[in-house]
Amino acid sequence: MMKRVLLPRAVAGGVALVLGLSLAACGGSDSGSGGSGSFKVLVYGDASNKVEKQIVATFNKTSKVKAVLQTIPGADYQQKLQTIINTKQAPDVFFNWGGGSIQPFVKAGLLLPLNDMIAKDPRLKADFLPSVFNSAVVDGKPYGIPMRGTQPVLLFDNKKVLADAGVSEPKTWEDLLSAVKVLKAKHITPIALGGGDQWPTLMWYEYMYDRIAGPGLFDKAMSGDKSAWAAPESRTALSRLKELIDAGAFGSNYDSVKYTDGGSVALVAQGRAGFELMGSWYYSQQQQDNPDFAKTGLGYTSFPTVSGGAGDPKDIVGNTNNFYSVLKKTKYPDAVAQFLKLMYSDEFVKAHMAIGNLPTTTNTTNFLNTATDPAYAKYQYDLVKAAPSFQLSWDQAYPQSASEAMHTAVQQFFDGKLDADGFIKAMQALPTS
Amino acid sequence: MTTTAEPRVARRRPVRRTGAAVVRPGFVWAVPATLFFLIFAVLPLILVAVLSFASWDGISAPRFAGLDNWRTLIHDHVMIQSLWLSVLITVLGVVVQTPLSILLGVWAAGHQRNRAVLSAIYFVPLLLSATAVSILWRALLDPNFGVPAQAKWLFGDGNLFGRQTSAIGVLVFVGAWQYTPFHTLIYQGAARAIPQVLYQAAEIDGAGRVRQFWHITLPQLRNTMITSMILMVVGGLTTFDTVLILTQGGPGTDTTISAYYMYQRAFKSFDFGGGSAIALVLVLIATVISLIVVKVSGYDKMRGTTEGL
Amino acid sequence: MKRRPNYLAGLGSLVWLFLIGLPLYVMLAATLQDRADYSANGPLAFPEHVTLHNYTQDFSNGFGHFFLNTLLVTLAVVAIVLLLVPPLSYAIVRSRGRITTGVFRLFLLGLAIPAQAVIVPMFYVISKAGLYDNLIGVILPTAAFSLPVCALILTGVMRDITPDLYEAMAMDGASPWRVFFQLVVPLSKGGLSTIMVFSALQAWNGFLFPLVLTQSDSSKVITLGLFNFQTEHGIDIPGLLAAVVLSMLPIFVVYLFARRALVQGLMGVGGK
Repeated sequence: MMKRVLLPRAVAGGVALVLGLSLAACGGSDSGSGGSGSFKVLVYGDASNKVEKQIVATFNKTSKVKAVLQTIPGADYQQKLQTIINTKQAPDVFFNWGGGSIQPFVKAGLLLPLNDMIAKDPRLKADFLPSVFNSAVVDGKPYGIPMRGTQPVLLFDNKKVLADAGVSEPKTWEDLLSAVKVLKAKHITPIALGGGDQWPTLMWYEYMYDRIAGPGLFDKAMSGDKSAWAAPESRTALSRLKELIDAGAFGSNYDSVKYTDGGSVALVAQGRAGFELMGSWYYSQQQQDNPDFAKTGLGYTSFPTVSGGAGDPKDIVGNTNNFYSVLKKTKYPDAVAQFLKLMYSDEFVKAHMAIGNLPTTTNTTNFLNTATDPAYAKYQYDLVKAAPSFQLSWDQAYPQSASEAMHTAVQQFFDGKLDADGFIKAMQALPTS
Repeated sequence: MTTTAEPRVARRRPVRRTGAAVVRPGFVWAVPATLFFLIFAVLPLILVAVLSFASWDGISAPRFAGLDNWRTLIHDHVMIQSLWLSVLITVLGVVVQTPLSILLGVWAAGHQRNRAVLSAIYFVPLLLSATAVSILWRALLDPNFGVPAQAKWLFGDGNLFGRQTSAIGVLVFVGAWQYTPFHTLIYQGAARAIPQVLYQAAEIDGAGRVRQFWHITLPQLRNTMITSMILMVVGGLTTFDTVLILTQGGPGTDTTISAYYMYQRAFKSFDFGGGSAIALVLVLIATVISLIVVKVSGYDKMRGTTEGL
Repeated sequence: MKRRPNYLAGLGSLVWLFLIGLPLYVMLAATLQDRADYSANGPLAFPEHVTLHNYTQDFSNGFGHFFLNTLLVTLAVVAIVLLLVPPLSYAIVRSRGRITTGVFRLFLLGLAIPAQAVIVPMFYVISKAGLYDNLIGVILPTAAFSLPVCALILTGVMRDITPDLYEAMAMDGASPWRVFFQLVVPLSKGGLSTIMVFSALQAWNGFLFPLVLTQSDSSKVITLGLFNFQTEHGIDIPGLLAAVVLSMLPIFVVYLFARRALVQGLMGVGGK
């Protein structure tokens, strides 16, 4: 019975709807694409968005041309960006990692060199630490303004778990190995690892290769000399990693755990794991997920020294900073320039400090005390300042087309599916340009 | 849109002769749907073929690359492995789901009250999207915060997504959990359509329940089995959401089936040419399978389905 | 006819009930407690302090809007399918031309085109047409990919209309237009509701097209909202599962009130 009534009505309703929809879409594209004066700012979706929202709101208070913030959740960011960057829906301003991550866009002639903006307002360059600013210089031209904090990778820990087990934060590789042994005996996963995401596993390689061989080996490999991966230092680094894995440092189910869904984060916060190696953004993630733990229970230290290694123990790896780049086709370059000026403002620095990020502006030192955790801010700042080498994450340094194969190799060596030879061969097979 | 076809067709109506002259709709009636389908399904399909000979990173314009993508593909062990994995997951899906859904379907075909109530619950997974189902199971199977942490005697360390066998097992299980209800439904419908006289006759001959099942029910369900299996095969070969959400093709490339590998190549490594080549392989396989099935089942013959009853 | 109850089948059906019911129970129970309770008591425990917080939280995270988008997509897809498929099937069943035979074969082969296979050029076509990140860009391909199955179902149903009915209409001098509306459509109501159900489910649960063809929150559909929720806060299991429950709620309501139509519709997908 109901079918009889339902059908014609559904058809009529549907037709009306399709018509309405196409009308709505026409209207929508008008207001969306900037006819009424707005530009799109696309950022990586995570806990730092709080600050981006605040900065956009500040900008919109005074500007006639409005900024519209859009976020794409972390795991999807790079792929979505690349698929839209040459379409009508491309943003005007977008988040990136500098260096390799914008090179293809520069090559395709999509990005606006920022020389003119900097000529009009020299502070857009002068107010940032040069080593960081230069990460977004491609072919001699600046393409990015630093827009978050510097993100060295640190070894985080649960202070209470360590204290209960009677271990202290490891200074050396041997310390770490013995801490692993103690925690394991207490049935606590010594080190939480979001192996399901693969890139957290990569961080262990980045540090280990740096400690054993120094930054030279990776630079050599990146420049196209694939024999670097077969060097004795490479094998030493792999066997040291193996040592840690075989000691049960990561437990046995790390490949079913993820960082991105908060799994490994919760393990550390709940005291079910002792350590986790992660970028400095870990602090704001814990702050968001487990505020009480972030305040009192979260410890951090730098990656331990490895005896016999050629690398400087002060070296760090991670992301130098994130950058805003501007597309050539933007209709409002002047408004965008005004927007970018906010990236060295006091408000920007304070807001990032408040969520545990460490901006790389020259005025940052003035505000180290305003951070929610000044000690954490100072620690990072000194670490970055003192580091002879700051290695950009391998998967950001290599072209995007290499990252899947790299992640696979990284995971398979941890699982024992690849031996050292297999890993070396896989790394040699990666495209470097 | 379709109304414009009407007057023309009507005017072509032959002058009425005797009673049996039947007017037939012209092909114009099929034009709107066909055009729509050509634009949004066939055209992209042709473009896939074209792109498989091109190099395209999604930023600059596609560039002709000859047989490069195909040459890479043939030597790509991940690709070869992905085909095997697709077949394995498909076959396991059919093997697990078919007997289950036949038994459940025949059981649910009975008109008892309790069966009706239980069936209502059985069909709930049908209402969930593959996305929702995968997310549900990913959460339930989390090694630290899901069921495995509570049932260590069954799951051990709960590393279900870290080993190939268990990861494939999860994919097959979740697939069965989601799709068995649908196939059950198909069999239930078919089992209800089996004429009761056949059973009554068998009963008089003294055939037991098991013999009735083998000699009446199963043979009568033959056509339904074909339909259901095609759907399982096509569905199995194109499993995507489940892999994306549950395993991301991991650990390593251990569950990277072709459909997922295609997505990865195209949208994660930005090798749209290589991705298109894989896509074309997928289309070819699916086409061959459905051609065989269409031939075997006589689906395309112009005849009513009630014939022979 | 008296038959003794089939105990073995009954037992088997209970095992299956357990496999289906347990996850559903865990899901519901999880959504009704807060995160702390859930991680303290584990997934199998009955909720201690019942709360609807997870649902309200999901709504404040934009799920209401995603809902609306999905609803728009679904209604539009169903409308397109209902506009295009009945005339198509009518032509296939009743037209004697070579072209319509060819058309039918085209749609049969179309069954074998997996949506994944064309996603790369679809992305190209949609973005060139300026429909990227626009719901229309999701609706059109989703509808196109529902056509083959719907055509197959409806054609099967229309073939069962016996020739003498057409002859009777012809005696009255009816045009194909009248035949279509007064004979074919009324007699294929069952088929029409089947294709409605089928295309609605396809659209409601569609994932791949929205995943690749949309990006911003304003055009996000519910499956994508779920996916993003999982990649961002997957460990908030109660919140996540509440979102899963919400995503199926409308279909569940239809299921409760129109179970027969829905079930018959899905049965129809499998042919007869």
